[in-house]
Amino acid sequence: MTSIGTGYDLSVSTYSPDGRLFQVEYAGKAVEAAGVAIGLRCSDGIVLGVERLLHSKLLVKGANRRIASLDEHIGIASAGLLADGKHLARRGREEASSFRENYNSPVSVQILSDRISAYLQAYTCYGSVRPFGLSSIIGGVDKTGPKLFCIEPSGVYYGYRAVASGKGKALAKTELEKIVNKYLDAEQSGQGAGLTCREAVDEVARIIYLVHDDNKDKDFELEMTWICQESGNKHRPVPDDLLKSAEEKAKAALEEGMEED
Amino acid sequence: MALYHNQPMAHAQEPTAAPIEHRFNPYSDNGGSILAIAGTDFSVIAGDTRQSEGYNIQTRYARKVWQLTDKAVLATNGFAADGNNFVKRVKQRLEWYEHAHHKPMGLKSIARMIQTMLYGKRFFPYYVYNILGGIEEDGSGAVYSFDPVGSYEREACRAAGAAQSLIQPFLDNQIYFKNQQPEPGSQPFIPGNLPLATVLSLVVDSFTSATERHIEVGDGMEIYIVMARDRTTDDLLGEGKLQKGMEIEELGTLGEGQGERTFLVRQALKRD
Amino acid sequence: MMSQHPATWGQPTPANSSFNQFNTFPLPQTQRGQSSHAHHGPVGHTQQPLVTGTSVLGLKYDGGVMIAADNLASYGSLARFRDIQRLHPLGQHTLLGVAGDMSDFQWLKKELDALLREEDALALTDSHPSLSPKNIYELLSNLFYARRSKMNPVWNAVLVGGWDKVKKESFLAYVDLLGTTYTAPTLATGFGAHLAQPLLREAYEAKAGIDGNGPLLTKEEAEKVLEDCMKVLFYRDARSLNKYQIATITSEGVDISDSKSADTYWKFAEGLRGYGAQTQ
Repeated sequence: MTSIGTGYDLSVSTYSPDGRLFQVEYAGKAVEAAGVAIGLRCSDGIVLGVERLLHSKLLVKGANRRIASLDEHIGIASAGLLADGKHLARRGREEASSFRENYNSPVSVQILSDRISAYLQAYTCYGSVRPFGLSSIIGGVDKTGPKLFCIEPSGVYYGYRAVASGKGKALAKTELEKIVNKYLDAEQSGQGAGLTCREAVDEVARIIYLVHDDNKDKDFELEMTWICQESGNKHRPVPDDLLKSAEEKAKAALEEGMEED
Repeated sequence: MALYHNQPMAHAQEPTAAPIEHRFNPYSDNGGSILAIAGTDFSVIAGDTRQSEGYNIQTRYARKVWQLTDKAVLATNGFAADGNNFVKRVKQRLEWYEHAHHKPMGLKSIARMIQTMLYGKRFFPYYVYNILGGIEEDGSGAVYSFDPVGSYEREACRAAGAAQSLIQPFLDNQIYFKNQQPEPGSQPFIPGNLPLATVLSLVVDSFTSATERHIEVGDGMEIYIVMARDRTTDDLLGEGKLQKGMEIEELGTLGEGQGERTFLVRQALKRD
Repeated sequence: MMSQHPATWGQPTPANSSFNQFNTFPLPQTQRGQSSHAHHGPVGHTQQPLVTGTSVLGLKYDGGVMIAADNLASYGSLARFRDIQRLHPLGQHTLLGVAGDMSDFQWLKKELDALLREEDALALTDSHPSLSPKNIYELLSNLFYARRSKMNPVWNAVLVGGWDKVKKESFLAYVDLLGTTYTAPTLATGFGAHLAQPLLREAYEAKAGIDGNGPLLTKEEAEKVLEDCMKVLFYRDARSLNKYQIATITSEGVDISDSKSADTYWKFAEGLRGYGAQTQ
């Protein structure tokens, strides 16, 4: 950050001479400090997972969730400032229900992501506000099938097959690429059925355990939701038994990996 | 009055040229009756449990009598929806009072508050007749009665509701000793100091009689008895004090408790 | 005046708001965001029902509660819509049976579904318990009473049937356009209050007794009573239809039957004299 102290980083209403908005970039830093969040688009649905870092041993187990529902069929996992995430989820729910009110049909993941991104972008236009310290993964199943998007603090959003944000997202993305490529190859050669949500639960758990740094990071809880046939095509927590077995497998894979090293 | 909702053939006298205005009527009459009688150191507040509309019995058990504090019980009668929502608001105001002053509201203050709440809706009234019974700060039994827009007074007894015209004359005779002469040389009558047992049998007789002669009264009866502190309960809880078929329970204190005790007696009434 | 300041943002743009948020309109005195031109005359209130549904019946039985209603929505005396559903589930353990104005019913459905969807979404994040039948009934009672107090009634009579998961007991209650509320082991709205309620009470009390302490009707018995009642209503209520549904609400959840009809007997009509085409 060579430009600190030049005065161009104080407000989002002033560009730096080379065309950057430093406040937006700083918001990105808030994201990087958060536990990793992962979204994975499968052939039969969506799986969302977060590494919920526990800043205190006194926290109630399972509390302060970072994945929220925006509608029956859409979930949002956010990495960054928890309170910003809650606010954005609330706004997302209002958008989703307003869409239903106006059009009497569930909002598509694409349209909802677009509206939320427009909302985020507005917070990069005024000197009186700060951008959201959030990178939000929005996943859902609509009439066009499973869809996955990630919105950055700038308001920009892209569609993904798989996406990660937060601390250690680079490593997570490399792992996700491997999975995506494996199933893409299988699909193209006409033999694989594509990645299923049940398989994806194991994969996401494995990646989160892999990314988590036991030495540097605080303890964490694994939080996972999905939208698939098994959840009635609704956004629901991954069932406890499934989550538990995925965690066991993830820990086993970690042990195995350590032995290889 | 109650036999016909509209006077038979009433429309025949009206001019038919003008279009009939159809307007939503926000009120209904849900029948039933309530009464309260004060003693020197107790108060009895009672109501039946039938809720009706026209000739239909809506339910055989709907509450009309409500414990407000350790020394206040309110009976409501008239339009049930207004009654329920009015009681809800009264209870909310009592709660706020307790938060603000760290003590429950006294009986006479509740009575005044009810008057202002009723009058507050003077131009869209609660269609409810209220009777408030309980123990005053001086330990005496008291009854306050209200009209729907808040006019109120303290009395020794009051009946209201569908069978008011049946019960009130009876109470006037038995409580206020109207049309009675003391025996020559004996003490003059003083209203409001009958013993509890007498009051209870008056209440029961009032409701069984009203049930016989009024179609909107019946099914069940709830009698609340509020007793002043340090008063004996032997005349209520003692062996054989209650009539057959009566069930009694003591309602626990609502707050800190200053010695007043409230009992609830239930008895079945005829269901026809 | 619609503010541009982000601190005042909070709601999505409503469908009926004027779409001129960015000062494109040349006249500064124009009150943007306030649809002053939208209203002509007084605010419209439901002063009378138009398309209506008739009786709804409710009955507690051993292990749950049953609600029945036919599939007819009448336009006055015209049998206008003969395949509408007047039983509406709300969440896992609650069901509404609705009589009265069908457009108010549709509005009610929309509002409640939106509310339950929000509750459902919040439940995932905050793991708070879902709305119980009692919660939904209280909400409806407050809504109906508030609307009647604004002289703008929701022109319906509603039976709420449900299963209380905590108390492990069935729930059955009534609320109508006046905000009148009550509960009983058997309930009926409209014509059903005259024709079916006595039959329901008789059947209920035959087993449970007048205090309700005896055994309740079995599922089969309850269904039989309701079918009898729906038949009586079809015979005598001119605004009814011999096509109805029965919903059961138990600990297992809500089950709404397919439409069914009662066997009816009309042979006696041939023997009647004084109507129709007979000449002697």
